[in-house]
Amino acid sequence: MTEKISLLALFPDIDPAAQAVEKLRGMGLTDDDMNVISGTPATEAMLGRPHQWSNVPRLALGGALGGFLIGVFFAFGTPYLYPIEVGGQPLIPVPPSVVVLFEMTMLGLLVATFLGVFLDSRFPSYAPKEYVPQISDGKIAVFFECPVEKRKKITDALAALGAESIQPAEAQKL
Amino acid sequence: MTEALEHSPGHELERLRQEHLMLDPRPRGEMNALVMEAMHTTSWKFKMVFALLSVVVAVCLFGVWGYLIAEGMGAAGLTDPVYWGIFLVNTVFWIGISHAGTFVSALLRVFKAEYRRPFTRAAELMTTFGLVQAALSVFMHMGRVWLSYWLFPYPNERGLWPNFHSPLSWDFLAINTYLLASTMYLFLPLIPDLAMARDRSTGWRKTLYRILSLGFRGAEGEWTHLRTAMNIFAFAILPVMFSVHTIVSWDFAAAMRPGWNSTIFGPYFVVGALHSGIAAVAMVLVVVRATMKNMKYFIRPEVFDALGKLMLIVSMGWAYFFFNDYMVQWYGGDSFTDTLLHFHENGPLGWMWFSMLIFNVAVPWLTLWNRRVRRNPWALFGIGLFINIGMWFERYIIIPTSLTINFMPFTWREYVPGVEAPLGIGTLAFFILLYMAASKLVPLVPVWEVQEGQMAHSLRKVGKETIVSVAEME
Repeated sequence: MTEKISLLALFPDIDPAAQAVEKLRGMGLTDDDMNVISGTPATEAMLGRPHQWSNVPRLALGGALGGFLIGVFFAFGTPYLYPIEVGGQPLIPVPPSVVVLFEMTMLGLLVATFLGVFLDSRFPSYAPKEYVPQISDGKIAVFFECPVEKRKKITDALAALGAESIQPAEAQKL
Repeated sequence: MTEALEHSPGHELERLRQEHLMLDPRPRGEMNALVMEAMHTTSWKFKMVFALLSVVVAVCLFGVWGYLIAEGMGAAGLTDPVYWGIFLVNTVFWIGISHAGTFVSALLRVFKAEYRRPFTRAAELMTTFGLVQAALSVFMHMGRVWLSYWLFPYPNERGLWPNFHSPLSWDFLAINTYLLASTMYLFLPLIPDLAMARDRSTGWRKTLYRILSLGFRGAEGEWTHLRTAMNIFAFAILPVMFSVHTIVSWDFAAAMRPGWNSTIFGPYFVVGALHSGIAAVAMVLVVVRATMKNMKYFIRPEVFDALGKLMLIVSMGWAYFFFNDYMVQWYGGDSFTDTLLHFHENGPLGWMWFSMLIFNVAVPWLTLWNRRVRRNPWALFGIGLFINIGMWFERYIIIPTSLTINFMPFTWREYVPGVEAPLGIGTLAFFILLYMAASKLVPLVPVWEVQEGQMAHSLRKVGKETIVSVAEME
């Protein structure tokens, strides 16, 4: 089995980082072997990376459905659990029920969206991670794993593209 | 010669850079340092105002509230027929203020209005803190506040659930949904800035930001999930915002009372909320810019210009709904409604009715058409103050003044506030206090959003003119 090493290359801008991603791919690394870390969002198209999958929209829909069902229970179910008949008034009036259904659906959708970010990003996560504080100062980091024997070749190639530093990535307490 | 210089390409570029934050980028590290310095610098004036407000909150809010609880609701000026006084005026007022954050942040995000970028967080903070004051005002009005859990949606020991077909239950659901949603919407775009603050802090601040930033480091997946969620929030929170003040308006409109039973109260209240809220955002930004270090770089006259235009348009919308509501009621011919409308104009609080119209319509219309006025921060602050006083008057006229006149003339009685007045001052002081504390604890400018905007902006030549070009980056 080939021994691998994790490296973190730091670039001053998105352009050289995108070129580095392309270069690494050309040198045999797969997209799963690398990750781009930045202080400002850079789209997949900018970086030449595959589409990032997010479960947040599906979780949001699930939350909306859950909220709607809770709203159905509140508006249509609870009056039957302890019926109080008031002269001339229906036990379940529809227009006021729409208000309850709307609020509960939106609440479910928004809470699920929020929690979706936590689930998909595995937040909170206070374990040590590969990171350098310069990233939030605008540097773009390309974090990748490569076979040890390719290290020299890759390092030279990334340095030629303008990498400010290429160092073994050490997980550190954020 | 001077004219030639003014039209030279270099001069034009410099003018555009000074005018637009998006065209005046600085290195990210430098912008981070500016925001962190603003957070960490605390002047003696800040400390004095903070201490003074703390005393006002302790005395006027918690002290007087304690007195109200000990003495009972008799300490307030509430009585039949005016059973809703300043407590509810303040509730509606603060919910109105809270609308601005969502409106500015979500709607302008949906429409990709670029000038929003430096001040979305300042506006979102207003939403959360405004809702806190609204909720406190409701609790004060409850009297036996320790029984407030009765409103929660669960059955009592007899298995009886709250009545979800009551407007008060709608209020509970709507305000809580909005409070939760706006707090989450405030927090999501804050995570990358908290991570930035974590990287630049030491001691207890480092620990605080480390916990709050949740381990964010800016990996591709983290950004994707965050941006997806923020897009969903931006679209979904808008109907929630509209629903909240509409439901608040139904507390009044669903009642068969003169002056209240109106079909357009929903949109009328929503526009009124935006009127006071946007004016409040402008006021807060003027103060933040004047008192916090480095904020002149981020908050430029272009922001006030844009907000001034919004204030003018919303003022026209408010005038339209006011007149629409007034006209139909006036034309209706109901004698009690007729008496109420005359009471508004000629009664003991007639000055308030006319002041409301002057502050909400005449002042903005006579001033905000002028670009120089809109771009003058302190002029805009003054206009915003007038609008907020005018909108508070509007709520006072709708609630206690209108409650004075009902269908039973033998019960008519004027409202004289009791402990509500200092409690109202207490909520205002508490709002400012929370805002001041937040300005020292969270980055008030979303630096990553500003940088993202600056990356999307460029200048290009069209013929002889240099124009601003914005790229679609999402």
